[in-house]
Amino acid sequence: MIDALTDRAPWWVVGIALGLVVVGVMATLNQRVGAVGGYSDVVDRLSGRSASLGWRAWFLLGIIAGSGLFMILGGQTGAQAGYGWLTRTFEGGWQVLVVPILFGAGIMIGYGAKTAGGCTSGNGLCGSALASPSSLVATATFMGTAVLATVLLSAVI
Amino acid sequence: MGRFKLVAGLFGMLFGFMISWGHFTDPDEIRQMLLIEDLYLWKMFATAVAVGFVGTRLLRGSRALVTGERIDWVTSLPARHHVSGAVVFGLGWAVAASCPAPIAAQLAQGVWWSVVPFAGVGAGVLLYQRRSAQAPGAVVDAGPDTPAPRFASAVAPAVPEPARP
Repeated sequence: MIDALTDRAPWWVVGIALGLVVVGVMATLNQRVGAVGGYSDVVDRLSGRSASLGWRAWFLLGIIAGSGLFMILGGQTGAQAGYGWLTRTFEGGWQVLVVPILFGAGIMIGYGAKTAGGCTSGNGLCGSALASPSSLVATATFMGTAVLATVLLSAVI
Repeated sequence: MGRFKLVAGLFGMLFGFMISWGHFTDPDEIRQMLLIEDLYLWKMFATAVAVGFVGTRLLRGSRALVTGERIDWVTSLPARHHVSGAVVFGLGWAVAASCPAPIAAQLAQGVWWSVVPFAGVGAGVLLYQRRSAQAPGAVVDAGPDTPAPRFASAVAPAVPEPARP
């Protein structure tokens, strides 16, 4: 177990590392990172639209593996119950409602990110780093929407 | 698995490790950031974009280490679908308090609820693909998830940036 992993990393450490991932993928593969592209590759493979998993799916699988590695090195084990405000708001028998809400939110995330040309990593980190006007507009829009909607949700519920 | 996918997987691992260390896998922490109660996300994000901005410009025109391709990209001007899609994405992000990469990372951390939004994101992508197939050319995925050089001609309007010598 590595003690340093028990506390959250300084913001600048995570920021520099994620920026270097954007640069590293460009330096080695001449490609743009984007998590939702990995979901697309997985869907393509499962639906038979492609014969093998694309590189973005491997990037996504790497995210899962990296998260698992963090858990192991950080000495954290076991399942985690709950999912933020949703499972706190809907308790007991009402918790079954969290399933369609989270599934619907997932659909909005997947459909919206694909329509916008990328998600937080694709448009937000990579596209903004490349100074893509479409990414800058998309990023400002989804971040502004997420902040506004979260503030409204917290005021109502 | 070729070198291309191996390298992609290794960078994905670094990405997953760092977002986990930054606690982006915790919906409560994400929500605090979206409520502007915690500026961690915003400071981290600005740092990452700055590093990416400088780094990619230093790389432009050189050869990619694995593919040997000349490193370059094209950008596109904002279109209506960038805004409409981003609004839908932002709403989903606010409800789930999570986005695609953290949702995937949660799977490895035993956050069993994350299976639901993970499946939802996949369903959303499938829905997008089905709708795009029914109306070819109606929706153009012009953002970063589209490999720029190969699809540059399909992106309209695209603004090719002059290559450095």
